[in-house]
Amino acid sequence: MSLLVLLVLAPALPGVAAKTKAVLTGRRGAPVMQLYWDLFRLVRKGAVYSTTTTWMFRVAPVAGLVTPLLALGLLPLDGRRAPFGFTGDFVAFAALLALGRFTLVLAALDTGSSFEGMGASRDATFASLVEPALFLSFVVLALATGQLSLEGMLGGAQALPWGAAAPALTMVAVSLFFVLLTEASRVPVDDPATHLELTMIHEVTVLDYSGPDLALLLYGAALRMALFAALPVSVLASRAHLPVAAALGVLVAGLVTVAVAVGVVESSMARLRLSRVPQFLVAASVLASLGAILQLLT
Amino acid sequence: MERLADLLLLLVLLFGFLILGTTRLTTCIRAVAVQGGLLGLLPLVLHPQWSVHTLGLAAGTILVKAIVLPAFLIWAIRESAVRREVEPRVGYVASLVLGIFAVAVAGAVATRLPVPGEHPVLLVTTSLACVIMGLQVLATRAKALLQVVGYLMLENGIYVFGLTSLDRVPFLVEIGVLLDVFVGVFIMGIVVFHINREFDSLDSARLTELRD
Amino acid sequence: MSLCFVGLALIAASAACAALLRTRLVLAERAYGLLVSAGCVAAAIPAFRVLAGGSAAVVRLSIPAPSGPWVFGLDFLSAAFLLVILGPGLASALYGVRALGSAQDRRGVATARALFAVELVALVLVVLARAVVPFLVAWEVMAVLAYFLVTFDNERTEVRRAGWVYLVATHAGTLALIALFTSWAGVGGGLTFDALAARAGSLPAGGALVLCLALFGFGLKAGLVPLHFWLPDAHGSAPSHVSALMSGVVIKMGIYGLIRVVSLLGAPPAWWGWLVLVSGVVSGVLGVLWALAQHDLKRLLAYHSVENIGIILIGLGTGALGAAYGVPLVAVLGFAGAVLHTVNHALFKSLLFLGAGATVHATGTRIMDRLGGLGRRMPLTWVSFLIGSVAIVGLPPLNGFVSEWVVYLGLLHGGTSGGSIRLVLFGVAGLAIIGGLALACFAKVCGIVFLGVPRSDAALHGHEVSAGMLGPMFGLAGVCVFIGLAPGLAVGPALVVGASIARVSLPSSVGDVLAGIVRLGIWSLVLVMLLALGAVAWGAIRRRRSIARAETWGCGYALPSARMQYTASSFAAPLLAAYGPLAGVHETLDRGGGAFHTHASELVLERAILPAWAAVRGVLGRLRPLQQGRLWVYLLYVIATLLLLLLYLARGVSP
Repeated sequence: MSLLVLLVLAPALPGVAAKTKAVLTGRRGAPVMQLYWDLFRLVRKGAVYSTTTTWMFRVAPVAGLVTPLLALGLLPLDGRRAPFGFTGDFVAFAALLALGRFTLVLAALDTGSSFEGMGASRDATFASLVEPALFLSFVVLALATGQLSLEGMLGGAQALPWGAAAPALTMVAVSLFFVLLTEASRVPVDDPATHLELTMIHEVTVLDYSGPDLALLLYGAALRMALFAALPVSVLASRAHLPVAAALGVLVAGLVTVAVAVGVVESSMARLRLSRVPQFLVAASVLASLGAILQLLT
Repeated sequence: MERLADLLLLLVLLFGFLILGTTRLTTCIRAVAVQGGLLGLLPLVLHPQWSVHTLGLAAGTILVKAIVLPAFLIWAIRESAVRREVEPRVGYVASLVLGIFAVAVAGAVATRLPVPGEHPVLLVTTSLACVIMGLQVLATRAKALLQVVGYLMLENGIYVFGLTSLDRVPFLVEIGVLLDVFVGVFIMGIVVFHINREFDSLDSARLTELRD
Repeated sequence: MSLCFVGLALIAASAACAALLRTRLVLAERAYGLLVSAGCVAAAIPAFRVLAGGSAAVVRLSIPAPSGPWVFGLDFLSAAFLLVILGPGLASALYGVRALGSAQDRRGVATARALFAVELVALVLVVLARAVVPFLVAWEVMAVLAYFLVTFDNERTEVRRAGWVYLVATHAGTLALIALFTSWAGVGGGLTFDALAARAGSLPAGGALVLCLALFGFGLKAGLVPLHFWLPDAHGSAPSHVSALMSGVVIKMGIYGLIRVVSLLGAPPAWWGWLVLVSGVVSGVLGVLWALAQHDLKRLLAYHSVENIGIILIGLGTGALGAAYGVPLVAVLGFAGAVLHTVNHALFKSLLFLGAGATVHATGTRIMDRLGGLGRRMPLTWVSFLIGSVAIVGLPPLNGFVSEWVVYLGLLHGGTSGGSIRLVLFGVAGLAIIGGLALACFAKVCGIVFLGVPRSDAALHGHEVSAGMLGPMFGLAGVCVFIGLAPGLAVGPALVVGASIARVSLPSSVGDVLAGIVRLGIWSLVLVMLLALGAVAWGAIRRRRSIARAETWGCGYALPSARMQYTASSFAAPLLAAYGPLAGVHETLDRGGGAFHTHASELVLERAILPAWAAVRGVLGRLRPLQQGRLWVYLLYVIATLLLLLLYLARGVSP
């Protein structure tokens, strides 16, 4: 049930972030539901395929949708149980999203264009540098709860031990927010509003897509944003003791808050220089490992 | 109170990482100032029975570490008109990773070190981590002013360690703080100014030209 | 067990066929193929029986010999490694039949095929040996034969140099192994593995010398950093099926040796476990980093073997730490992960090398920056290479993900128990870094070589290779997919093998892991089905829209050329820049001539081994004047030595 709600609500999140950014910079901005209209419009259009692309180009949007969908199935969205969890499934979580990224990078290289190649190379670089931050955050959660599945760590019977492990859990939440900024390609890693191909990273990886494929990719990207926003929300707000409807409401409110926070970050910072982005990503890992060390000391 | 002490020590560590990872000189100096301020609050939190002694120590530390010294250093920057920063010798990413190793080693040693008395385990960890990170800044940064910042961070670490013996040895921490800091900064200040007047840059790597 | 020896005899017969039937080529190839297949299948059946039946078949075959009895046996560990040898070995042998068939020198080809079969026999004997002397004899035969197989193209200088470095490295390893076994057995001790295990309790310092020598000697064969320096040259210069055998099987013999030593010694001391874990992380990260910097396809795959050896060592270290700290679940999971990853890596690394060999065979060049667009010209090779790449990066639903999952579980169970073992959690960060870098590296390889537009004439002439070469590749790919979709069938026996190495019985909490495996298998199936359904459904939707074809959008640039595509070195450049001088990349920029050149150097070889060798040569050069070349000087040396010896012997004797 919560999965369906999230699937419907996911495209609203980028709209919330964009609206926040617009309001903070003194504009009116696009409506929050803009992405829904875009998806509807794109699905009805035809597509233009490049003569150099092969079947890999057409498979990547499908993988880009299926992988976040299946990953959502591993999270305890209603605060208690995940639709399909198992021991050690957070490894599967990260690996699944890596599969989606792998197909997307290959599809970008399939077009034989230097712009896509540049975007693919940078995308792969940032993804590989932020992977340890995600894993270390899960390690801290495993240490704090003693559980080894996402369902156990973020939902389940026991609430997170905020009493004893508060500093570590705060740092995990901040580190997961940094991971969200990277995976959703937001400032300070990538600027989703730029129009110059040489300054795009994720946007230029999908430069050659059009029509229904682009719709799939945009929806998949919105799902990934919802996925990575659900992680810090689950860490910060433990919902195990709430009834199902209230837990869902808390989750949605949390997601909207995270989207607003993303908008605030986007309007107050510029994108980092490309050679400084690895520093930012390593800072996310440093925060998570500091949390792990703190947890090991107590 | 114990949680507040843990929080303060954690913030000290986080500002240490800020010093390791930032590019701007003024940010480094402000970070070490905030570290000093947090450390000034620490004796008040560790010993909730506030005697005149602890209040005086706290006030003195905040005055010296958080207000006077940073102001002096910022004035020195303005005098010599240096803003930019050169990459550390090992790169920013490697500096951050070495910082994490420093904290890990400090944590491993802190759990085994036989320090008398009851302290939060984060206390000894933070002090050793600050010492190692201060030494790392001293070794890997080229600008003489940043080496002063590294020295101050080293001093902060020693101060934190001194807090473990606050009740037992009177005036140990105070004398250490005042004397070391003043002597260090005074000498560094003189040297910095003289370097600036005699040569064109504050790059300490070029000090090797002074030999024979 | 006797079926094993029947299989070995069949393989040896195939070697004889290849060597003797030089003139009747077609008959020789058919006979060779048939006999090798029959032999491998026959030898594999006992292994399957042992792994499935659940009881160790310790069947002994004692051959009395002067140095003690030669004992052979097949237990769980040997059975697992037997599968490692026979599967990829068979595939490489069949591939080699086709691949070398087009080479010019007929006599060289026949000898190469015969030696390949004898190498398979030697490998099986290494794994079956249960006494020191047969083990070392088989080891040495395997090493020397591998040298001959590697230097097949020996008219090229770099191949000869690579073979030479390999020979030096492997003999240094063998020397360490001889020292290892002699120090372990002691003076007058028994030389069978059982006698060594009995003596293990009385070794000084918990067997520190034995363990360090084992890490050095077997590490040289396995290729852990910094003992890997011979690997890239040797595996890059060998013919592709030989590279597949070496990378997939021969370096695993180093791992086999390490695991055998650990299993015979009992619980190793904790410091050794930490040492293995740290060297595993370092090998993994540096291996894949250096792989990212390579331009040559086969050298890149060779460095990837170093990385996967690192992952196997992480599993081994976790298992050793679990045994040292007395946490049986961690020990079982760690060892099981190491063994499972060995099997999986043998499968997909051989697959990748065979695919790379097909590419080189079709285009004639190994440099990635001259290839491109081969996915259209060699579609079947592309599909099998893609399966191998997805497997090696550790992505679901294939087998690399399953073995990495087991290793992660071992690390996490170690982290959530109490005590100092919790520090293994930093191995999780290491594995995550390795996984991320591997993804970037294989995205580079697949994208640059198989996708896009051809970058040179060599790539334009790419064509699909023959069925004889595709067959083994698809066989290996099929096994990868099978293990990925039915992980329970592989992980169950792996856990049994892990328990036998750690010498504990399977702990009850393993049931939780097995339940997790079953769900993982179902989940992988769901993933594949969803992807297939999605592709079909989306294809149906797409077909109802209007589809147009055009040039790739180049921001309005009217004349894009193939040279404007991203190159392999540009793809890897941001990631290598983030790691700085560790990556070992030298750039030279010639502004006047308009040239830019990057060179990926082998850091350990160029910074440590070669300068050390030059220093030793310098010192030894001082002794050169001793060799005067004149007979009477040498006679003088003999007389002087004789006099000194007589005086030394006489000093203790009173008149």
